[in-house]
Amino acid sequence: MKRNLVGLGIVLLVSAFMLAACGDGGKGPAEEAIKAAEAAVATAKADAGKFLPDDLKSLEGALAAVKDKFAKGDYKAVVGEAPGLVAKANDLVASAKTKKEELTKSWTTLSEGLPKMVGAIQSRVDILSKAKKLPANLTAEKFAEVKSGLAAATADWAKAQESFKSGNLGDAIALANTVKGTAVQAMGILGLPVPAGAK
Amino acid sequence: MAEEETNVPSGSDAFDATQYHEVVSGDTLWKISERYYGDGSLYKNIFEANQDILKDPNVIKVGQKLRIP
Repeated sequence: MKRNLVGLGIVLLVSAFMLAACGDGGKGPAEEAIKAAEAAVATAKADAGKFLPDDLKSLEGALAAVKDKFAKGDYKAVVGEAPGLVAKANDLVASAKTKKEELTKSWTTLSEGLPKMVGAIQSRVDILSKAKKLPANLTAEKFAEVKSGLAAATADWAKAQESFKSGNLGDAIALANTVKGTAVQAMGILGLPVPAGAK
Repeated sequence: MAEEETNVPSGSDAFDATQYHEVVSGDTLWKISERYYGDGSLYKNIFEANQDILKDPNVIKVGQKLRIP
Protein backbone atom coordinates (compact mmCIF):
# COMPACT_ATOMS: atom_id res chain seq x y z
CA MET A 1 0.00 0.00 0.00
CA LYS A 2 2.78 2.39 1.00
CA ARG A 3 4.73 1.46 -2.14
CA ASN A 4 1.63 2.18 -4.24
CA LEU A 5 1.26 5.65 -2.72
CA VAL A 6 4.91 6.51 -3.44
CA GLY A 7 4.46 5.35 -7.02
CA LEU A 8 1.36 7.44 -7.44
CA GLY A 9 3.20 10.43 -6.04
CA ILE A 10 6.02 10.02 -8.57
CA VAL A 11 3.54 9.73 -11.43
CA LEU A 12 1.74 12.89 -10.33
CA LEU A 13 5.03 14.78 -9.98
CA VAL A 14 6.26 13.76 -13.44
CA SER A 15 2.88 14.69 -14.91
CA ALA A 16 3.09 18.10 -13.30
CA PHE A 17 6.58 18.66 -14.77
CA MET A 18 5.40 17.58 -18.20
CA LEU A 19 2.45 19.93 -18.05
CA ALA A 20 4.70 22.78 -17.04
CA ALA A 21 7.13 22.02 -19.86
CA CYS A 22 4.66 21.48 -22.68
CA GLY A 23 1.59 23.43 -21.77
CA ASP A 24 2.69 27.14 -21.67
CA GLY A 25 -0.72 28.24 -22.88
CA GLY A 26 0.69 29.95 -26.05
CA LYS A 27 3.26 32.07 -24.21
CA GLY A 28 6.04 31.22 -26.68
CA PRO A 29 4.18 32.33 -29.84
CA ALA A 30 2.97 35.40 -27.98
CA GLU A 31 6.54 36.29 -27.06
CA GLU A 32 7.61 35.90 -30.66
CA ALA A 33 4.69 38.03 -31.85
CA ILE A 34 5.61 40.80 -29.42
CA LYS A 35 9.26 40.69 -30.46
CA ALA A 36 8.25 41.06 -34.09
CA ALA A 37 5.95 43.98 -33.26
CA GLU A 38 8.64 45.67 -31.17
CA ALA A 39 11.17 45.31 -33.97
CA ALA A 40 8.72 46.77 -36.52
CA VAL A 41 7.88 49.73 -34.27
CA ALA A 42 11.59 50.32 -33.63
CA THR A 43 12.22 50.41 -37.37
CA ALA A 44 9.40 52.92 -37.86
CA LYS A 45 10.66 55.12 -35.05
CA ALA A 46 13.52 56.82 -36.90
CA ASP A 47 11.57 58.66 -39.60
CA ALA A 48 8.08 58.51 -38.08
CA GLY A 49 9.41 60.16 -34.92
CA LYS A 50 10.44 63.16 -37.05
CA PHE A 51 7.70 63.34 -39.62
CA LEU A 52 4.62 61.64 -38.10
CA PRO A 53 5.13 61.82 -34.33
CA ASP A 54 1.43 61.57 -33.46
CA ASP A 55 1.00 58.42 -35.52
CA LEU A 56 4.09 56.92 -33.92
CA LYS A 57 2.77 57.76 -30.45
CA SER A 58 -0.50 56.01 -31.27
CA LEU A 59 1.37 52.93 -32.49
CA GLU A 60 3.55 52.85 -29.40
CA GLY A 61 0.41 53.07 -27.27
CA ALA A 62 -1.06 50.07 -29.10
CA LEU A 63 2.17 48.14 -28.56
CA ALA A 64 2.12 48.97 -24.86
CA ALA A 65 -1.48 47.70 -24.66
CA VAL A 66 -0.51 44.40 -26.28
CA LYS A 67 2.45 44.02 -23.93
CA ASP A 68 0.11 44.64 -21.04
CA LYS A 69 -2.10 41.80 -22.25
CA PHE A 70 0.99 39.59 -22.41
CA ALA A 71 1.87 40.51 -18.83
CA LYS A 72 -1.65 39.49 -17.79
CA GLY A 73 -1.29 36.15 -19.56
CA ASP A 74 -3.76 36.87 -22.34
CA TYR A 75 -1.51 35.22 -24.91
CA LYS A 76 -4.32 34.47 -27.34
CA ALA A 77 -5.11 38.17 -27.63
CA VAL A 78 -1.42 38.99 -28.07
CA VAL A 79 -1.03 36.48 -30.91
CA GLY A 80 -4.17 37.91 -32.52
CA GLU A 81 -3.25 41.59 -32.24
CA ALA A 82 0.55 41.83 -32.54
CA PRO A 83 0.73 41.01 -36.27
CA GLY A 84 -1.62 43.93 -36.90
CA LEU A 85 0.91 46.20 -35.21
CA VAL A 86 3.64 44.95 -37.53
CA ALA A 87 1.46 45.85 -40.50
CA LYS A 88 0.68 49.28 -39.04
CA ALA A 89 4.36 49.89 -38.37
CA ASN A 90 5.20 49.02 -41.97
CA ASP A 91 2.49 51.39 -43.20
CA LEU A 92 3.90 54.09 -40.95
CA VAL A 93 7.37 53.61 -42.44
CA ALA A 94 5.88 54.11 -45.90
CA SER A 95 3.85 57.17 -44.83
CA ALA A 96 6.86 58.72 -43.11
CA LYS A 97 8.91 58.22 -46.25
CA THR A 98 6.24 59.99 -48.32
CA LYS A 99 6.04 62.83 -45.80
CA LYS A 100 9.82 63.18 -45.81
CA GLU A 101 9.82 63.40 -49.61
CA GLU A 102 7.10 66.08 -49.53
CA LEU A 103 8.98 68.14 -46.96
CA THR A 104 12.26 67.76 -48.83
CA LYS A 105 10.57 69.02 -51.99
CA SER A 106 9.13 71.99 -50.08
CA TRP A 107 12.55 72.74 -48.62
CA THR A 108 14.20 72.57 -52.02
CA THR A 109 11.68 75.03 -53.46
CA LEU A 110 12.05 77.43 -50.53
CA SER A 111 15.82 77.17 -50.37
CA GLU A 112 16.10 78.02 -54.05
CA GLY A 113 13.49 80.78 -53.99
CA LEU A 114 13.91 82.64 -50.71
CA PRO A 115 17.48 83.85 -51.35
CA LYS A 116 16.19 85.52 -54.50
CA MET A 117 13.49 87.36 -52.56
CA VAL A 118 15.84 88.35 -49.75
CA GLY A 119 18.46 89.37 -52.32
CA ALA A 120 15.98 91.64 -54.09
CA ILE A 121 15.01 93.28 -50.80
CA GLN A 122 18.66 93.70 -49.78
CA SER A 123 19.48 95.26 -53.14
CA ARG A 124 16.62 97.75 -52.85
CA VAL A 125 17.48 98.57 -49.23
CA ASP A 126 21.11 99.17 -50.18
CA ILE A 127 20.08 101.58 -52.93
CA LEU A 128 17.43 103.37 -50.86
CA SER A 129 19.93 103.80 -48.03
CA LYS A 130 21.94 106.05 -50.39
CA ALA A 131 18.90 108.08 -51.48
CA LYS A 132 18.70 111.71 -50.40
CA LYS A 133 14.97 111.22 -49.96
CA LEU A 134 12.72 108.19 -50.00
CA PRO A 135 10.06 107.42 -52.64
CA ALA A 136 6.69 109.08 -52.12
CA ASN A 137 5.02 105.92 -50.84
CA LEU A 138 7.72 105.04 -48.30
CA THR A 139 8.10 106.71 -44.92
CA ALA A 140 11.29 106.62 -42.85
CA GLU A 141 9.46 104.52 -40.23
CA LYS A 142 8.36 101.97 -42.80
CA PHE A 143 11.84 101.84 -44.26
CA ALA A 144 13.26 101.21 -40.77
CA GLU A 145 10.69 98.42 -40.39
CA VAL A 146 11.90 96.87 -43.65
CA LYS A 147 15.52 97.01 -42.52
CA SER A 148 14.81 95.33 -39.19
CA GLY A 149 12.64 92.74 -40.98
CA LEU A 150 15.48 92.06 -43.38
CA ALA A 151 17.90 91.53 -40.50
CA ALA A 152 15.43 89.14 -38.84
CA ALA A 153 14.84 87.27 -42.10
CA THR A 154 18.58 86.88 -42.66
CA ALA A 155 19.03 85.49 -39.15
CA ASP A 156 16.03 83.17 -39.48
CA TRP A 157 17.31 81.93 -42.82
CA ALA A 158 20.66 81.03 -41.26
CA LYS A 159 18.80 79.14 -38.52
CA ALA A 160 16.65 77.35 -41.11
CA GLN A 161 19.75 76.18 -42.94
CA GLU A 162 21.26 74.93 -39.67
CA SER A 163 18.06 73.01 -38.91
CA PHE A 164 18.15 71.44 -42.35
CA LYS A 165 21.80 70.44 -41.95
CA SER A 166 21.00 68.80 -38.61
CA GLY A 167 18.22 66.79 -40.25
CA ASN A 168 15.33 68.71 -38.72
CA LEU A 169 13.29 69.32 -41.85
CA GLY A 170 10.13 70.35 -40.01
CA ASP A 171 11.87 73.19 -38.14
CA ALA A 172 13.79 74.18 -41.26
CA ILE A 173 10.59 74.60 -43.25
CA ALA A 174 8.79 76.41 -40.43
CA LEU A 175 11.65 78.92 -40.23
CA ALA A 176 11.79 79.23 -44.01
CA ASN A 177 8.08 80.06 -44.04
CA THR A 178 8.69 82.71 -41.39
CA VAL A 179 11.38 84.19 -43.65
CA LYS A 180 8.95 84.08 -46.56
CA GLY A 181 6.30 85.94 -44.55
CA THR A 182 8.78 88.61 -43.49
CA ALA A 183 10.06 88.96 -47.03
CA VAL A 184 6.56 89.27 -48.48
CA GLN A 185 5.74 91.99 -45.95
CA ALA A 186 8.95 93.88 -46.74
CA MET A 187 8.34 93.61 -50.47
CA GLY A 188 4.86 95.02 -49.98
CA ILE A 189 6.25 98.02 -48.11
CA LEU A 190 8.96 98.60 -50.71
CA GLY A 191 6.54 98.28 -53.62
CA LEU A 192 8.35 95.24 -54.98
CA PRO A 193 6.24 92.63 -56.79
CA VAL A 194 5.69 89.51 -54.70
CA PRO A 195 6.74 86.43 -56.70
CA ALA A 196 4.01 83.94 -57.56
CA GLY A 197 5.73 81.20 -55.57
CA ALA A 198 5.55 83.23 -52.36
CA LYS A 199 1.83 83.97 -52.60
CA MET B 1 1.30 103.10 -62.84
CA ALA B 2 0.12 99.49 -62.74
CA GLU B 3 0.36 99.33 -66.50
CA GLU B 4 4.01 100.31 -66.44
CA GLU B 5 5.10 97.94 -63.71
CA THR B 6 5.32 94.38 -64.83
CA ASN B 7 6.53 91.41 -62.87
CA VAL B 8 7.63 89.27 -65.78
CA PRO B 9 7.06 85.63 -64.89
CA SER B 10 9.90 83.39 -65.92
CA GLY B 11 7.75 80.26 -65.81
CA SER B 12 10.35 77.99 -64.32
CA ASP B 13 11.17 80.39 -61.54
CA ALA B 14 8.16 81.12 -59.38
CA PHE B 15 10.35 82.98 -56.89
CA ASP B 16 11.86 85.42 -59.34
CA ALA B 17 11.70 88.70 -57.44
CA THR B 18 12.95 90.96 -60.19
CA GLN B 19 11.02 94.18 -60.64
CA TYR B 20 10.62 95.58 -64.13
CA HIS B 21 9.58 98.92 -65.50
CA GLU B 22 8.24 99.22 -69.00
CA VAL B 23 9.43 102.46 -70.54
CA VAL B 24 6.67 104.85 -71.61
CA SER B 25 6.83 108.09 -73.55
CA GLY B 26 8.55 110.83 -71.53
CA ASP B 27 10.50 108.46 -69.30
CA THR B 28 14.15 109.04 -68.51
CA LEU B 29 16.37 106.99 -66.23
CA TRP B 30 16.43 109.96 -63.87
CA LYS B 31 12.62 110.04 -63.69
CA ILE B 32 12.41 106.27 -63.26
CA SER B 33 14.99 106.45 -60.50
CA GLU B 34 13.06 109.21 -58.78
CA ARG B 35 9.93 107.14 -58.92
CA TYR B 36 11.38 103.92 -57.51
CA TYR B 37 14.15 105.30 -55.29
CA GLY B 38 12.93 108.79 -54.49
CA ASP B 39 16.21 110.14 -55.83
CA GLY B 40 16.96 110.66 -59.52
CA SER B 41 20.70 110.73 -58.94
CA LEU B 42 20.61 106.98 -58.27
CA TYR B 43 19.75 106.29 -61.95
CA LYS B 44 23.15 104.60 -62.47
CA ASN B 45 21.87 101.59 -60.51
CA ILE B 46 19.20 101.08 -63.16
CA PHE B 47 21.60 101.73 -66.01
CA GLU B 48 24.13 99.22 -64.66
CA ALA B 49 21.43 96.58 -64.13
CA ASN B 50 20.38 96.89 -67.77
CA GLN B 51 23.67 97.10 -69.60
CA ASP B 52 22.60 94.19 -71.76
CA ILE B 53 19.99 96.43 -73.41
CA LEU B 54 21.20 99.96 -72.64
CA LYS B 55 24.40 101.42 -74.06
CA ASP B 56 23.79 105.03 -73.12
CA PRO B 57 21.97 106.18 -69.97
CA ASN B 58 20.45 109.02 -71.96
CA VAL B 59 18.88 106.72 -74.54
CA ILE B 60 15.97 104.53 -73.58
CA LYS B 61 13.18 103.37 -75.84
CA VAL B 62 9.44 103.15 -75.30
CA GLY B 63 8.48 99.53 -74.60
CA GLN B 64 11.84 98.50 -73.18
CA LYS B 65 11.52 96.47 -69.98
CA LEU B 66 14.09 97.67 -67.52
CA ARG B 67 15.13 95.74 -64.43
CA ILE B 68 14.83 97.83 -61.30
CA PRO B 69 17.34 96.51 -58.75
